[in-house]
Amino acid sequence: MILDKIGIISCSGEECLGGTISRLAVRKMMEELKPGMVSTLCLPLFIAGDGGEREFAEKYPTIAVDGCSKCCAKRAIEKYSNKVAGSVDVAEIIGAEIALEKPLSTRNLTTEHMEYVKKTADKTCEIFDEILAKSV
Amino acid sequence: MSKIKVIPCSGIGKVFGLLARESALMVTQEKCPDDTETLCLAHVVTGDNEVVEKIKGETCITMDGCAKYCSKKSVEETGGIVVKSHKVPDFMKAHRGEEHGTGTYLTEDGWKYAEELAEIMVEEVKEIKAGVN
Ligand code: SF4
Ligand code: SF4
Repeated sequence: MILDKIGIISCSGEECLGGTISRLAVRKMMEELKPGMVSTLCLPLFIAGDGGEREFAEKYPTIAVDGCSKCCAKRAIEKYSNKVAGSVDVAEIIGAEIALEKPLSTRNLTTEHMEYVKKTADKTCEIFDEILAKSV
Repeated sequence: MSKIKVIPCSGIGKVFGLLARESALMVTQEKCPDDTETLCLAHVVTGDNEVVEKIKGETCITMDGCAKYCSKKSVEETGGIVVKSHKVPDFMKAHRGEEHGTGTYLTEDGWKYAEELAEIMVEEVKEIKAGVN
């Protein structure tokens, strides 16, 4: 099966920096790294949605991008939809202490934060390419 | 009284989700840090005991990005008491024709709108506090 899209869902956690990074990394995948090849969904829609949202991870191999080791996106996707095809934990990339710092408004982003976003997006991209290669 | 929970949805596809998030961060971090706090909605959604304990029976204000009301629904399902529920497009009337940005960034008009949404919630925080004290 040749895939035309891969799902990527971030936890977008509002309580800590890792959540902000997870969200921005997914946006970077959508806009810069894999434009047109990413399908995403607001995570809470798995629960609150009344349409076919819960089938999302059955339709697309899905990568979860989580802000900390609680891995809420991964767990929610697996509980309500399907096993994830891959997962990224921002805390493993930037360190748990930094990931658990206060959440960040996009207007306070520094070059250091953008580097965290890049590293997280690069890791996500690696998994994305592996999934794609396996599907050919 | 414990801190009022201000919980935005986690909308990622459009600017409305980012407006909800930024306005909630303004309230909890800048405008009323002593009276409010936020929680990860994705964590609420997992139903983990740890987060259920934090939210059950607590006073919450939700700001959603669209009529799916993910934050309101998920918070209520977890036992939070939603005393004020909003969705970003409800306040759009005065902002028709403006460009607010995308799910990644806000424009100057977007920041003004987020500020307006935050002020609405700040007034509500004051009302809730006044009613309780
Ligand atoms: S994984 Fe961590 S940052 Fe993300 S929603 Fe869960 S608790 Fe929040
Ligand atoms: S309320 Fe709308 S924008 Fe917000 S998470 Fe749900 S579907 Fe997404």
